[in-house]
Amino acid sequence: MTGTKAGKFLRGKIAALIAIIIVVGAIFTIANKSYISPKNIMSLMTSISLSGTLAVGLGCLLISGHVDLASGTEGCIAGIVVALLLGTGMPWPVALLLTVVFGCVMGLVHAFLVHVLGFMAFIATIGMSSVYKGLALVISNGANVSISNQAFYTIGSGSLGIFPLPFIIMTVLFIVYSLILKYTKFGRAVYLCGGNVNAARLAGVSPKRVSTILFVNCGAISALAGAIFAARVHMGGPNNVWGAEMDGIAAAVLGGVSFMGGSGNLGGAFVGLILINAFNNGLNAIGLQAYWQTAAQGVILIAALLVDYFGERGRVRALKAAS
Amino acid sequence: MAGCIEFSGISKLFPGVRALADVSFRADSGQVLALLGENGAGKSTLLKILSGDVKPDGGRISIDGAEQSFQSPTDALRAGISVIYQERQLVPAGSVAENIFAGDLPGRSGVVDYKALYEQTAEIIGKFGLDIDPDEPVGRLPIARQQMVEIMKAYRRDSAIIAFDEPTASLTDSEISILFRLINELKESGKIIIYVSHRLSEIFQISDKITVLKDGCLVTTLETARTDEAELIRAMVGRDLGDTYAKLSRNDRLGDTLLEVRDLETEDVHGVSFTLRRGEVLGFAGLIGAGRTEVMRAIFGADRILSGAVVFDGREGGFKSPKEAIDAGVALCPEDRKEQGLVLFRSIRDNITMPVLQKLKRLLFLDKRAGHKLAQSAIARYDIRTPSADKAVVELSGGNQQKVILGRWTSDMMDTKLLILDEPTKGIDVGTKAEVYQIICDFAKQGIGVIFISSELTEVINVADRILVMKGGRITGELTRAEATEENVLALAMKDV
Amino acid sequence: MRQKSKFRAFTETKMFTLLLLLAFIVVVFAVLTPEGGFLKPRNIKNIINGMSVNAFLAVGAGCLLVSGQIDLSVGAIGTLSGVVFALLFGKYGVPVIPAVVVSLVVVAAFGFVNALLINRFHTQGFITTMATGLLAQGLGYILDGGKAIAIKSDAFNAVGTKSIFDGYLPISVIIAVVVFIIYGLLMSKTKFGQSVYLVGGNPTASYLSGINPKRISYILFINCSVMGGLAGLMYASRMKSATQSGITNSSFAGMTAAILGGISFGGGAGGMGGAFLGLIILNAFNNGISGVGIPPYWQQVASGALLLIALTFDYVGIRQRAFSLRREAARVGAGANAETKGDVR
Repeated sequence: MTGTKAGKFLRGKIAALIAIIIVVGAIFTIANKSYISPKNIMSLMTSISLSGTLAVGLGCLLISGHVDLASGTEGCIAGIVVALLLGTGMPWPVALLLTVVFGCVMGLVHAFLVHVLGFMAFIATIGMSSVYKGLALVISNGANVSISNQAFYTIGSGSLGIFPLPFIIMTVLFIVYSLILKYTKFGRAVYLCGGNVNAARLAGVSPKRVSTILFVNCGAISALAGAIFAARVHMGGPNNVWGAEMDGIAAAVLGGVSFMGGSGNLGGAFVGLILINAFNNGLNAIGLQAYWQTAAQGVILIAALLVDYFGERGRVRALKAAS
Repeated sequence: MAGCIEFSGISKLFPGVRALADVSFRADSGQVLALLGENGAGKSTLLKILSGDVKPDGGRISIDGAEQSFQSPTDALRAGISVIYQERQLVPAGSVAENIFAGDLPGRSGVVDYKALYEQTAEIIGKFGLDIDPDEPVGRLPIARQQMVEIMKAYRRDSAIIAFDEPTASLTDSEISILFRLINELKESGKIIIYVSHRLSEIFQISDKITVLKDGCLVTTLETARTDEAELIRAMVGRDLGDTYAKLSRNDRLGDTLLEVRDLETEDVHGVSFTLRRGEVLGFAGLIGAGRTEVMRAIFGADRILSGAVVFDGREGGFKSPKEAIDAGVALCPEDRKEQGLVLFRSIRDNITMPVLQKLKRLLFLDKRAGHKLAQSAIARYDIRTPSADKAVVELSGGNQQKVILGRWTSDMMDTKLLILDEPTKGIDVGTKAEVYQIICDFAKQGIGVIFISSELTEVINVADRILVMKGGRITGELTRAEATEENVLALAMKDV
Repeated sequence: MRQKSKFRAFTETKMFTLLLLLAFIVVVFAVLTPEGGFLKPRNIKNIINGMSVNAFLAVGAGCLLVSGQIDLSVGAIGTLSGVVFALLFGKYGVPVIPAVVVSLVVVAAFGFVNALLINRFHTQGFITTMATGLLAQGLGYILDGGKAIAIKSDAFNAVGTKSIFDGYLPISVIIAVVVFIIYGLLMSKTKFGQSVYLVGGNPTASYLSGINPKRISYILFINCSVMGGLAGLMYASRMKSATQSGITNSSFAGMTAAILGGISFGGGAGGMGGAFLGLIILNAFNNGISGVGIPPYWQQVASGALLLIALTFDYVGIRQRAFSLRREAARVGAGANAETKGDVR
């Protein structure tokens, strides 16, 4: 999606989402002034970072027309792996690196299932997520594995000014991958594969190669996200992280990444992410019971989808009137 | 620059079908070689082998005497081969520029140079003499323009060998003339051009040599200057078709008025009025995007009518849904067979019984045997080439797929009074086309009113009793078969309104 | 000769593959379980008993899959129906039958909303049903205040817990089998079922042939929700209470059984018979694996692996079939005209 017209379309969508964020933010601020306090914003930024980091890897995969529904469980198992590695007294950079490599291996397994055995990514990764959940229980023996490496905590709970480190890492990933998608030949090949696999193949691009890289990339980022989360909560546990991939996917789709592949971008996913989380956080701020939050989350998602529909219809009408 | 490409002893076997058997020929630099043959003759398979998409079971391809072994389309591209497929290979959400340079964007060390991309695209568009914005998402262009983008893709690669698979199937005449000018330029610059088409007139206009295939075998290779249509058709179909149109046995008894459309107005159609009598074949000519399809969709109840009247068989008020139209006896064979006509992965039987499921109901359940009988009779009537009615439609050739759709709307259980055929001969071979023309005339003889939309001027003016010409959603003129010539229909189709 | 080719045709079907897989699982676990406990009547009863809840989910999800759509909200919706029933019955004293009807109407409304959003507002099914699922889940929490509600109706609880024939044939299983038979007939023998397959294959072509794809989509989404509701009620009946989490995490369970049973997205292949076998295989496997003394943590790994193994199995089957077809074609060779092609199949 480049160029002014396509850009306009996307900007229109993102603009609508930003408008909703502002309205939502204003309402919550009126209801409770502490909503825009630095403390609350910091906590918002921290809570975003897990699903946001997952959304980077997932967003790239979605654009290429695939999906990784195991991404959360990969993060879960990676959290345990990094905790176990640190438990051996290994320096944390080495442990982190090995964990990310482990993530790559998981991604490679998905690519194998999809390309060599020919499964739909959607089903293969659901199956694998079940395997990972079990493996997480096996290697952790069903209990949380605590981390005592103080230096490692910093990745999860340190901050620069009011910006928590996990949020900074996530933002850097968003920027880097946005640039890759937009300005590199590989990035454009991702769109080409997502938009029309056959066209990609006949243009000399190997869709299998592209999506293998993206599966591995998604595994690596998921593992990184899991490790950062483990650093934040000082442990790796078999019940952590998984489920967060759904938030990541919701954010990306809300931000205009098509589930069919070939369109959308990470900027949209970022805005979608903020919308979902600003809303959830706001419900907390106005002291709504947790029970209501789940329902409200559903309502905001539906509302966003409807806004998108009416916005798109308006744009189509304007286009027709202009021509 | 390659001097010649040689195919020797190419064979390919698909499950149950021999696509190519021992095919050998050569194409030389600075020449246009036309590949001609009926559907299923093996032309498309040959192009797929050329592009590295399909591996042959036997034989070899050599360029300037050097044997090639293509493992993937990438290898073929590297060897300087570009193939333009009939099915457009575009990314709808991507811009024109990105589609043209797909897989080979300008730039250094992996980074895309957007400025160069747009400049180079503008340059190519300029060479084609078209008014297209390099920035526009391809999905928003009309079909004909999308096809031109597909051609620009191959042109851009500057390959030594360029193959076209039915490039004009969805182009309008003005774009066809641009294409032919470009092909001539490419030829003069020493390229090897391979041109696949069903349209004989085109082949005479553009080619230097003609290779004819039939049932996967090479029949002959002829010099274009030293042959004629009759000889080619004989070679293609193995029999002498003579003058197809003169031989048609037409209906000469028109009935009363079946359909009357008055001042029809929809989003894309403006003030369209016409009448159709029982037993009449009414042709709709015009360029692609002239609004013909939209008129039919409105009559069929698929598009909303803003104002105006549709009176069918004495029934006022038009139709609110295709189901209502079908129940009243209207049938529509849509333009895009695969997208709108067929359920590709279901059987021939399932596709034929689609509109008559209600009539196949016995109490609660469907009568499968009756459905099978219905399919068998369509297979027999239209000579659909298939081992059984259980075969998935996707495995049939284009012509046979079209016959399945005809079979659907004319089965014994349908009481079709009006048959609307939107581009029924698109992408099917000469032999089958002639069959379709006769089928159309046979419908008319049974008192069915037929609307026949076609972008091929010759067929529409020779088959229809009366021709309406459209442009920009309006009717620009009406001609009888006797009056119509390619020139005056074209003039109306391009008339300023 | 004809008999033989019919048998051969059967060996090439997905059903045959599934039966083989089931036989394999049965043999392996019969050998591995101590004292052959796997095949004891009590255990077999456990296996079939375990499928009653997921049977509803598999049927609802299977029909939707054929039409090319998915519903991730069905688990949460099912839980909600249990909560609504328990509240109506326990707190407001509504009799069992009206309470069941009202709770099913509530969940049907969710199905309608799903269909409305997807068909009228053209939203993506995956995210839409995820959103309505959250909404249903939240409503469930709000209604029951996060606590399980006991259901004190012997009649209602009997459906999920009582058995006939000396306790060997649970009522819930009879219901599940009947549901599969009804939906099997519906999908394979009726106009409606045929229309679902056609719409799944090509909605535009179906519309232009007088079938109304939107109508079918509405029916299937509402049906899927009602099936989810029945699953939720069945679960509540078995638990004798409406629990907070209920079957919320079971949205994928029905889909897994359907896919394992060979139903492909968009109606290319598969039917209710396959989904039924898929469900039995899942239950037999899960039951067997807990019976052979595999540590519980590994059981989770194994059930994920099963889906992948089943898919691989299918893949190998397809490959072999394609291979034998090609060999036949080569043998028939140049004479491969329309008539001889018929014999190849």
